[in-house]
Amino acid sequence: MEFHDNYPQYEVMSNHGEEEGKKGRKTLWNVFWVMLAITIFELIIGFMAPSQGWSGTWWLKTLFITLTIVKAAAIVIWFMHLGHEVKFFKYIILMPYLVFMLYTIFIILTEGTYAGSSGNLTRVDPIFVKQQEELRSGHGHHAEPATGAAAEESHH
Amino acid sequence: MSHTAEIDVKEAWGGGQSPFRISYGKLFMWFFLVSDALTFGGLLVSYGFIRHKYAEVWPKAENVFTHFPFVEQHIPLAYVGLMTFILIMSSVTMVLAVEAGHRMDKRGVTVWMFWTIIGGLAFVGSQAWEWYHFIVGTDAGALRNVWDMEKGAYVQQVFHGANMTTNEYGVPQFANYFFFITGFHGTHVFSGVVLNFIIFLNVLKGTYQKRGHYEMVEKVGLYWHFVDLVWVFVFTFFYLL
Repeated sequence: MEFHDNYPQYEVMSNHGEEEGKKGRKTLWNVFWVMLAITIFELIIGFMAPSQGWSGTWWLKTLFITLTIVKAAAIVIWFMHLGHEVKFFKYIILMPYLVFMLYTIFIILTEGTYAGSSGNLTRVDPIFVKQQEELRSGHGHHAEPATGAAAEESHH
Repeated sequence: MSHTAEIDVKEAWGGGQSPFRISYGKLFMWFFLVSDALTFGGLLVSYGFIRHKYAEVWPKAENVFTHFPFVEQHIPLAYVGLMTFILIMSSVTMVLAVEAGHRMDKRGVTVWMFWTIIGGLAFVGSQAWEWYHFIVGTDAGALRNVWDMEKGAYVQQVFHGANMTTNEYGVPQFANYFFFITGFHGTHVFSGVVLNFIIFLNVLKGTYQKRGHYEMVEKVGLYWHFVDLVWVFVFTFFYLL
Protein backbone atom coordinates (compact mmCIF):
# COMPACT_ATOMS: atom_id res chain seq x y z
CA MET A 1 0.00 0.00 0.00
CA GLU A 2 1.27 3.43 -0.88
CA PHE A 3 1.22 6.32 1.57
CA HIS A 4 1.03 9.97 0.68
CA ASP A 5 1.59 11.23 4.18
CA ASN A 6 3.30 10.07 7.33
CA TYR A 7 0.34 8.63 9.20
CA PRO A 8 1.41 5.96 11.67
CA GLN A 9 0.94 2.37 10.66
CA TYR A 10 -1.69 1.52 13.29
CA GLU A 11 -4.28 3.80 11.70
CA VAL A 12 -4.34 1.65 8.62
CA MET A 13 -4.40 -1.41 10.86
CA SER A 14 -7.78 -0.22 12.07
CA ASN A 15 -9.09 -0.92 8.58
CA HIS A 16 -10.99 -4.20 8.55
CA GLY A 17 -12.39 -6.78 6.16
CA GLU A 18 -15.86 -7.70 4.95
CA GLU A 19 -16.47 -10.24 7.72
CA GLU A 20 -15.59 -7.90 10.56
CA GLY A 21 -17.61 -5.11 8.95
CA LYS A 22 -20.75 -7.24 8.92
CA LYS A 23 -20.42 -7.90 12.66
CA GLY A 24 -19.70 -4.22 13.36
CA ARG A 25 -22.74 -3.05 11.42
CA LYS A 26 -24.97 -5.48 13.31
CA THR A 27 -23.78 -4.05 16.64
CA LEU A 28 -24.35 -0.48 15.44
CA TRP A 29 -27.90 -1.18 14.28
CA ASN A 30 -28.67 -2.92 17.57
CA VAL A 31 -27.43 0.15 19.45
CA PHE A 32 -29.65 2.31 17.25
CA TRP A 33 -32.79 0.23 17.90
CA VAL A 34 -32.19 0.26 21.64
CA MET A 35 -31.70 4.05 21.60
CA LEU A 36 -34.83 4.53 19.50
CA ALA A 37 -36.83 2.33 21.88
CA ILE A 38 -35.58 4.33 24.88
CA THR A 39 -36.51 7.64 23.18
CA ILE A 40 -40.02 6.43 22.27
CA PHE A 41 -40.48 5.13 25.82
CA GLU A 42 -39.40 8.52 27.21
CA LEU A 43 -41.84 10.33 24.93
CA ILE A 44 -44.75 8.08 25.90
CA ILE A 45 -44.00 8.55 29.61
CA GLY A 46 -43.56 12.30 29.08
CA PHE A 47 -46.86 12.46 27.17
CA MET A 48 -48.74 10.59 29.92
CA ALA A 49 -47.09 12.39 32.85
CA PRO A 50 -49.37 15.48 33.16
CA SER A 51 -52.66 13.53 33.10
CA GLN A 52 -51.35 10.83 35.45
CA GLY A 53 -49.98 13.36 37.93
CA TRP A 54 -46.41 12.12 37.46
CA SER A 55 -44.98 15.53 36.53
CA GLY A 56 -42.17 16.61 38.80
CA THR A 57 -42.09 13.43 40.88
CA TRP A 58 -38.62 12.34 41.97
CA TRP A 59 -38.88 8.89 40.39
CA LEU A 60 -39.78 10.38 37.01
CA LYS A 61 -36.79 12.72 37.13
CA THR A 62 -34.51 9.85 38.17
CA LEU A 63 -35.89 7.67 35.38
CA PHE A 64 -35.37 10.33 32.69
CA ILE A 65 -31.86 11.22 33.85
CA THR A 66 -30.86 7.53 34.08
CA LEU A 67 -32.16 6.81 30.58
CA THR A 68 -30.34 9.90 29.28
CA ILE A 69 -27.06 8.69 30.76
CA VAL A 70 -27.65 5.24 29.24
CA LYS A 71 -28.14 6.82 25.79
CA ALA A 72 -25.11 9.09 26.24
CA ALA A 73 -22.97 6.09 27.24
CA ALA A 74 -24.15 4.17 24.16
CA ILE A 75 -23.16 7.06 21.88
CA VAL A 76 -19.72 7.45 23.47
CA ILE A 77 -18.92 3.72 23.68
CA TRP A 78 -20.18 2.46 20.30
CA PHE A 79 -20.71 5.44 17.99
CA MET A 80 -17.65 7.38 19.11
CA HIS A 81 -15.77 4.12 19.49
CA LEU A 82 -14.31 4.99 22.90
CA GLY A 83 -15.10 1.48 24.12
CA HIS A 84 -12.44 0.14 21.77
CA GLU A 85 -9.68 2.60 22.60
CA VAL A 86 -6.76 1.96 24.94
CA LYS A 87 -7.77 1.89 28.61
CA PHE A 88 -5.46 4.74 29.53
CA PHE A 89 -7.01 6.92 26.84
CA LYS A 90 -10.52 6.27 28.17
CA TYR A 91 -9.45 7.53 31.57
CA ILE A 92 -7.71 10.59 30.12
CA ILE A 93 -10.93 11.60 28.36
CA LEU A 94 -13.54 10.65 30.93
CA MET A 95 -11.96 11.26 34.34
CA PRO A 96 -11.23 15.01 34.16
CA TYR A 97 -14.67 15.62 32.70
CA LEU A 98 -16.52 13.58 35.30
CA VAL A 99 -14.59 15.13 38.19
CA PHE A 100 -15.31 18.69 36.97
CA MET A 101 -18.96 18.05 36.16
CA LEU A 102 -19.78 16.18 39.37
CA TYR A 103 -18.18 18.94 41.40
CA THR A 104 -20.04 21.65 39.44
CA ILE A 105 -23.36 19.88 39.89
CA PHE A 106 -22.65 19.40 43.60
CA ILE A 107 -21.74 23.04 44.17
CA ILE A 108 -24.65 24.38 42.11
CA LEU A 109 -27.16 22.22 43.98
CA THR A 110 -25.73 23.45 47.27
CA GLU A 111 -25.76 27.10 46.25
CA GLY A 112 -29.09 26.81 44.43
CA THR A 113 -30.77 25.87 47.68
CA TYR A 114 -29.88 29.29 49.14
CA ALA A 115 -30.40 31.31 45.97
CA GLY A 116 -34.01 30.20 45.74
CA SER A 117 -35.02 31.40 49.19
CA SER A 118 -36.62 34.82 49.57
CA GLY A 119 -34.25 37.59 50.60
CA ASN A 120 -31.62 36.13 48.29
CA LEU A 121 -33.32 37.19 45.09
CA THR A 122 -31.05 38.76 42.53
CA ARG A 123 -31.19 42.54 42.32
CA VAL A 124 -32.93 43.20 39.01
CA ASP A 125 -35.21 45.82 37.57
CA PRO A 126 -38.19 46.19 39.99
CA ILE A 127 -40.59 45.59 37.14
CA PHE A 128 -39.25 42.03 36.78
CA VAL A 129 -39.47 41.41 40.51
CA LYS A 130 -43.10 42.54 40.32
CA GLN A 131 -43.67 40.33 37.33
CA GLN A 132 -42.26 37.33 39.17
CA GLU A 133 -44.60 38.00 42.06
CA GLU A 134 -47.52 38.19 39.67
CA LEU A 135 -46.53 34.93 38.03
CA ARG A 136 -46.17 33.27 41.44
CA SER A 137 -49.60 34.44 42.55
CA GLY A 138 -51.10 33.19 39.30
CA HIS A 139 -52.07 36.57 37.90
CA GLY A 140 -51.09 37.58 34.42
CA HIS A 141 -50.58 33.94 33.53
CA HIS A 142 -52.58 34.21 30.37
CA ALA A 143 -54.74 37.05 29.12
CA GLU A 144 -58.44 36.47 29.58
CA PRO A 145 -60.12 36.19 26.19
CA ALA A 146 -63.72 37.36 25.86
CA THR A 147 -65.58 34.04 25.95
CA GLY A 148 -65.04 30.82 27.85
CA ALA A 149 -65.02 28.71 24.70
CA ALA A 150 -62.30 30.83 23.13
CA ALA A 151 -60.32 30.54 26.35
CA GLU A 152 -60.60 26.75 26.26
CA GLU A 153 -59.39 26.69 22.69
CA SER A 154 -56.47 29.01 23.13
CA HIS A 155 -55.32 27.32 26.34
CA HIS A 156 -55.10 23.94 24.59
CA MET B 1 -10.06 -3.42 17.92
CA SER B 2 -7.02 -4.80 16.20
CA HIS B 3 -4.71 -1.89 16.99
CA THR B 4 -5.01 -2.18 20.76
CA ALA B 5 -3.36 -5.54 20.98
CA GLU B 6 0.39 -5.13 20.98
CA ILE B 7 1.33 -2.39 23.43
CA ASP B 8 4.21 -2.67 25.82
CA VAL B 9 3.42 -0.22 28.63
CA LYS B 10 7.09 0.40 29.33
CA GLU B 11 7.84 1.13 25.71
CA ALA B 12 4.66 3.12 25.06
CA TRP B 13 6.02 6.47 26.22
CA GLY B 14 9.46 6.05 24.67
CA GLY B 15 8.61 8.16 21.62
CA GLY B 16 8.11 7.37 17.98
CA GLN B 17 4.58 6.09 18.51
CA SER B 18 1.33 7.15 20.10
CA PRO B 19 1.01 5.79 23.63
CA PHE B 20 -2.75 5.99 23.18
CA ARG B 21 -2.67 4.03 19.92
CA ILE B 22 -4.56 6.89 18.33
CA SER B 23 -3.46 9.42 15.74
CA TYR B 24 -2.61 13.04 16.54
CA GLY B 25 -5.71 14.36 14.76
CA LYS B 26 -8.15 12.07 16.51
CA LEU B 27 -6.51 12.70 19.88
CA PHE B 28 -6.96 16.43 19.55
CA MET B 29 -10.49 16.09 18.26
CA TRP B 30 -11.20 14.26 21.52
CA PHE B 31 -9.51 16.98 23.56
CA PHE B 32 -11.55 19.61 21.75
CA LEU B 33 -14.74 17.67 22.39
CA VAL B 34 -13.95 17.42 26.11
CA SER B 35 -13.53 21.20 26.28
CA ASP B 36 -16.72 21.73 24.27
CA ALA B 37 -18.54 19.29 26.53
CA LEU B 38 -17.41 21.37 29.51
CA THR B 39 -18.96 24.45 27.90
CA PHE B 40 -22.26 22.68 27.34
CA GLY B 41 -22.05 21.15 30.80
CA GLY B 42 -21.58 24.62 32.31
CA LEU B 43 -24.54 25.98 30.35
CA LEU B 44 -26.82 23.13 31.37
CA VAL B 45 -25.77 23.31 35.00
CA SER B 46 -26.45 27.05 35.09
CA TYR B 47 -29.81 26.34 33.43
CA GLY B 48 -30.54 23.91 36.26
CA PHE B 49 -29.59 26.54 38.82
CA ILE B 50 -31.93 29.19 37.40
CA ARG B 51 -34.72 26.70 36.88
CA HIS B 52 -34.41 25.56 40.48
CA LYS B 53 -34.54 29.17 41.61
CA TYR B 54 -37.72 29.93 39.64
CA ALA B 55 -39.22 26.48 40.10
CA GLU B 56 -42.81 27.67 40.76
CA VAL B 57 -42.97 30.01 37.78
CA TRP B 58 -41.01 27.90 35.30
CA PRO B 59 -43.12 27.12 32.20
CA LYS B 60 -43.85 23.47 31.44
CA ALA B 61 -42.35 22.47 28.09
CA GLU B 62 -45.44 20.43 27.18
CA ASN B 63 -47.47 23.67 27.32
CA VAL B 64 -44.97 25.61 25.22
CA PHE B 65 -43.89 23.33 22.38
CA THR B 66 -47.14 21.87 21.14
CA HIS B 67 -47.05 22.48 17.41
CA PHE B 68 -46.58 19.89 14.72
CA PRO B 69 -46.35 20.67 10.99
CA PHE B 70 -49.56 20.27 8.95
CA VAL B 71 -51.54 19.28 12.06
CA GLU B 72 -54.17 21.54 13.58
CA GLN B 73 -54.30 19.88 17.02
CA HIS B 74 -51.70 20.55 19.65
CA ILE B 75 -49.54 17.52 20.32
CA PRO B 76 -46.94 18.11 23.01
CA LEU B 77 -43.51 16.46 22.59
CA ALA B 78 -44.25 14.96 19.17
CA TYR B 79 -42.21 17.46 17.20
CA VAL B 80 -39.17 17.31 19.45
CA GLY B 81 -39.48 13.53 19.31
CA LEU B 82 -39.20 13.74 15.55
CA MET B 83 -36.17 16.03 15.80
CA THR B 84 -34.50 13.59 18.19
CA PHE B 85 -35.21 10.73 15.81
CA ILE B 86 -33.67 12.68 12.89
CA LEU B 87 -30.49 13.39 14.85
CA ILE B 88 -30.06 9.83 16.19
CA MET B 89 -30.68 8.52 12.66
CA SER B 90 -28.03 10.82 11.21
CA SER B 91 -25.63 9.63 13.92
CA VAL B 92 -26.20 6.06 12.73
CA THR B 93 -25.61 6.95 9.08
CA MET B 94 -22.40 8.72 10.16
CA VAL B 95 -21.08 5.70 12.04
CA LEU B 96 -21.97 3.53 9.03
CA ALA B 97 -19.92 5.89 6.85
CA VAL B 98 -16.98 5.43 9.22
CA GLU B 99 -17.44 1.67 9.11
CA ALA B 100 -17.54 1.70 5.30
CA GLY B 101 -14.34 3.75 5.41
CA HIS B 102 -12.62 0.99 7.38
CA ARG B 103 -13.40 -1.37 4.51
CA MET B 104 -12.16 1.20 1.95
CA ASP B 105 -15.67 1.13 0.44
CA LYS B 106 -15.84 4.50 -1.31
CA ARG B 107 -19.42 4.05 -2.46
CA GLY B 108 -20.60 3.17 1.04
CA VAL B 109 -18.89 6.21 2.56
CA THR B 110 -20.41 8.48 -0.10
CA VAL B 111 -23.96 7.21 0.39
CA TRP B 112 -23.89 7.29 4.20
CA MET B 113 -22.21 10.70 4.37
CA PHE B 114 -24.83 12.04 2.00
CA TRP B 115 -27.65 10.87 4.30
CA THR B 116 -25.83 12.30 7.31
CA ILE B 117 -25.73 15.73 5.67
CA ILE B 118 -29.41 15.48 4.76
CA GLY B 119 -30.24 14.53 8.35
CA GLY B 120 -28.23 17.45 9.70
CA LEU B 121 -29.98 19.93 7.41
CA ALA B 122 -33.37 18.49 8.36
CA PHE B 123 -32.52 18.96 12.02
CA VAL B 124 -31.38 22.58 11.62
CA GLY B 125 -34.53 23.29 9.61
CA SER B 126 -36.72 21.74 12.30
CA GLN B 127 -35.03 23.86 14.91
CA ALA B 128 -35.70 27.02 12.90
CA TRP B 129 -39.36 26.02 12.71
CA GLU B 130 -39.48 25.43 16.46
CA TRP B 131 -37.88 28.81 17.16
CA TYR B 132 -40.33 30.50 14.83
CA HIS B 133 -43.35 29.14 16.70
CA PHE B 134 -41.80 29.96 20.07
CA ILE B 135 -41.11 33.56 19.02
CA VAL B 136 -44.53 34.10 17.44
CA GLY B 137 -46.41 32.53 20.36
CA THR B 138 -50.11 31.77 20.80
CA ASP B 139 -53.10 33.80 19.61
CA ALA B 140 -54.22 34.42 23.19
CA GLY B 141 -50.93 35.77 24.46
CA ALA B 142 -50.50 36.88 28.06
CA LEU B 143 -50.42 40.13 30.04
CA ARG B 144 -46.83 41.26 30.42
CA ASN B 145 -44.91 44.42 31.23
CA VAL B 146 -43.45 45.52 27.92
CA TRP B 147 -41.08 48.44 27.40
CA ASP B 148 -42.80 51.32 25.56
CA MET B 149 -40.29 53.38 23.59
CA GLU B 150 -42.49 56.49 23.28
CA LYS B 151 -43.54 56.64 26.92
CA GLY B 152 -40.13 55.54 28.15
CA ALA B 153 -41.72 53.21 30.65
CA TYR B 154 -42.99 49.66 31.06
CA VAL B 155 -46.62 49.26 30.04
CA GLN B 156 -48.78 46.26 30.79
CA GLN B 157 -50.17 44.81 27.59
CA VAL B 158 -51.02 41.53 25.90
CA PHE B 159 -47.80 40.00 24.63
CA HIS B 160 -47.44 37.11 22.18
CA GLY B 161 -44.50 34.72 22.04
CA ALA B 162 -41.09 35.26 23.57
CA ASN B 163 -37.94 37.33 23.22
CA MET B 164 -34.96 37.96 25.48
CA THR B 165 -36.86 40.21 27.93
CA THR B 166 -40.50 39.13 27.74
CA ASN B 167 -41.98 35.66 27.62
CA GLU B 168 -45.64 34.86 27.22
CA TYR B 169 -45.29 31.41 28.81
CA GLY B 170 -43.62 32.45 32.04
CA VAL B 171 -40.34 33.89 33.30
CA PRO B 172 -38.09 35.42 30.61
CA GLN B 173 -35.19 33.25 31.84
CA PHE B 174 -36.85 30.26 30.21
CA ALA B 175 -36.64 31.94 26.82
CA ASN B 176 -33.09 33.17 27.50
CA TYR B 177 -31.81 29.67 28.22
CA PHE B 178 -33.86 28.13 25.44
CA PHE B 179 -32.45 30.54 22.86
CA PHE B 180 -28.91 30.31 24.16
CA ILE B 181 -28.55 26.55 24.66
CA THR B 182 -30.53 25.33 21.64
CA GLY B 183 -28.96 28.14 19.60
CA PHE B 184 -25.46 27.11 20.67
CA HIS B 185 -26.31 23.51 19.88
CA GLY B 186 -27.86 24.49 16.54
CA THR B 187 -24.68 26.38 15.64
CA HIS B 188 -22.74 23.20 16.38
CA VAL B 189 -25.06 21.19 14.16
CA PHE B 190 -24.67 23.73 11.38
CA SER B 191 -20.85 23.71 11.62
CA GLY B 192 -21.04 19.92 11.66
CA VAL B 193 -23.01 19.96 8.42
CA VAL B 194 -20.41 22.28 6.85
CA LEU B 195 -17.51 20.07 7.99
CA ASN B 196 -19.32 16.94 6.79
CA PHE B 197 -19.91 18.58 3.44
CA ILE B 198 -16.23 19.47 3.00
CA ILE B 199 -15.19 15.90 3.85
CA PHE B 200 -17.96 14.60 1.57
CA LEU B 201 -16.46 16.53 -1.37
CA ASN B 202 -13.04 15.03 -0.57
CA VAL B 203 -14.59 11.55 -0.50
CA LEU B 204 -16.11 12.19 -3.93
CA LYS B 205 -12.75 13.37 -5.24
CA GLY B 206 -11.16 10.15 -3.97
CA THR B 207 -8.66 11.90 -1.70
CA TYR B 208 -8.97 9.32 1.06
CA GLN B 209 -9.04 6.36 -1.29
CA LYS B 210 -5.62 7.51 -2.48
CA ARG B 211 -4.42 8.12 1.06
CA GLY B 212 -5.23 4.56 2.07
CA HIS B 213 -7.58 5.32 4.95
CA TYR B 214 -10.73 7.32 5.73
CA GLU B 215 -9.55 8.76 9.03
CA MET B 216 -10.87 12.24 8.22
CA VAL B 217 -14.37 10.77 8.05
CA GLU B 218 -13.75 9.31 11.50
CA LYS B 219 -12.73 12.72 12.88
CA VAL B 220 -15.79 14.61 11.62
CA GLY B 221 -17.77 11.57 12.75
CA LEU B 222 -16.54 12.13 16.32
CA TYR B 223 -17.72 15.72 16.15
CA TRP B 224 -21.07 14.69 14.71
CA HIS B 225 -21.70 12.10 17.43
CA PHE B 226 -20.80 14.71 20.02
CA VAL B 227 -23.54 16.97 18.64
CA ASP B 228 -25.97 14.08 18.98
CA LEU B 229 -24.68 13.45 22.51
CA VAL B 230 -25.38 17.05 23.54
CA TRP B 231 -28.87 16.89 22.08
CA VAL B 232 -29.68 13.84 24.21
CA PHE B 233 -29.08 16.02 27.28
CA VAL B 234 -30.82 19.13 25.92
CA PHE B 235 -33.84 16.97 25.02
CA THR B 236 -34.08 15.61 28.55
CA PHE B 237 -33.53 18.83 30.47
CA PHE B 238 -35.57 21.17 28.28
CA TYR B 239 -38.44 19.00 27.11
CA LEU B 240 -38.87 15.97 29.35
CA LEU B 241 -38.15 17.12 32.89
